[in-house]
Amino acid sequence: MTVDPILERVQALVTEVAGPERAPADADPDTPLGDSGYWLDSVDVLEVILACEREFGTVFEEGADLTPETLYSARRLADLVRSKLSA
Amino acid sequence: MRALDPLPWPWGEEILAKLFAAKAFIRPRLLRKAVAWAGHYPLAGRSRWRLALSCCAHHGRFVARQALLGIRTPEDLRRHVILKGEAHLTAASTGAILLGFHLGPPGVAVALRAVGLPVTWMGGLRAFRTRWNAPWQPFRQASDTLTLSRSAPSPGGVLYRARRLLLDGGTLYVAAEGGGREAFRVALPGGFARIRSGWFVLRRQCGVPVLPVLTHLEGLTQVITIYPPLPPPHPDQARDLEVCRLRLAALLEDYARRFPEQCYALTFRAGATQPS
Repeated sequence: MTVDPILERVQALVTEVAGPERAPADADPDTPLGDSGYWLDSVDVLEVILACEREFGTVFEEGADLTPETLYSARRLADLVRSKLSA
Repeated sequence: MRALDPLPWPWGEEILAKLFAAKAFIRPRLLRKAVAWAGHYPLAGRSRWRLALSCCAHHGRFVARQALLGIRTPEDLRRHVILKGEAHLTAASTGAILLGFHLGPPGVAVALRAVGLPVTWMGGLRAFRTRWNAPWQPFRQASDTLTLSRSAPSPGGVLYRARRLLLDGGTLYVAAEGGGREAFRVALPGGFARIRSGWFVLRRQCGVPVLPVLTHLEGLTQVITIYPPLPPPHPDQARDLEVCRLRLAALLEDYARRFPEQCYALTFRAGATQPS
């Protein structure tokens, strides 16, 4: 299986923000960040966004980038980071 | 409510105040709740009943204020609002957070904009309410708002926008007791204020001053007071939170002591009142 370093790092950041209590035991890159997944609230999601900016040295555009779709799961967020890095 | 709107201001508001006081007698559960809440103040007999009924009447007034009943233009609203402590905000050369509370009349962000303070409101879907008639249209179009709700697109993204706005020098108005994770509670007579954590996170992220804002009615005039900023963020988050808690608790306790009849949220909000 191919290792995706961006996805791995994004998922690690999500897990770090969620903490061991909220991170589902069977979490995978498609686990929702919000309800029925990591149960991250708006403050947690902000922390994940800022952590991604710091980690990957990118800046998101508030309206265009941060939509319910891109913030749905670690995979979608990693896709966003990748698109920002390649832009 | 629609039937009351054509009446000259403040007739509609006066009628709603009386109706809400009368409603307490029709729905004894409301009255019992209000009287029990008033019992947390050192009052006896008639004074206790008077406070309970005044609280019910103020609830009616606040409903009228929220709907801008009889207030046909932003200029009408401006005439009924007095802003105090604006110097504290102008002293802040950076962005700033105005931290409101669910005490006193609602619609503080709308009132602040009406008196010329360019605040961006952040909060629940229906809390920033204006009218849809022509005189309010330019006001509504000029009002920058950040809607936060579970159904709103990406609440995390909304907080991110708020952070950007603050870093760019904007002024954000947010209610401390809105949605989101609870930071701490402030015990008040007959209830408590649940202080959420969004503003606290933004304060630490952006390093901007947080100025508490309280509002009350003096007769028919809405007085909005901007208080001096909370102390600058302490490097230790727990210590910082405790400093904020102590400062806000002092302000809210003082408010509840001076304007008990305007603390309707403590009386009637679901789950707000604690048994003594």
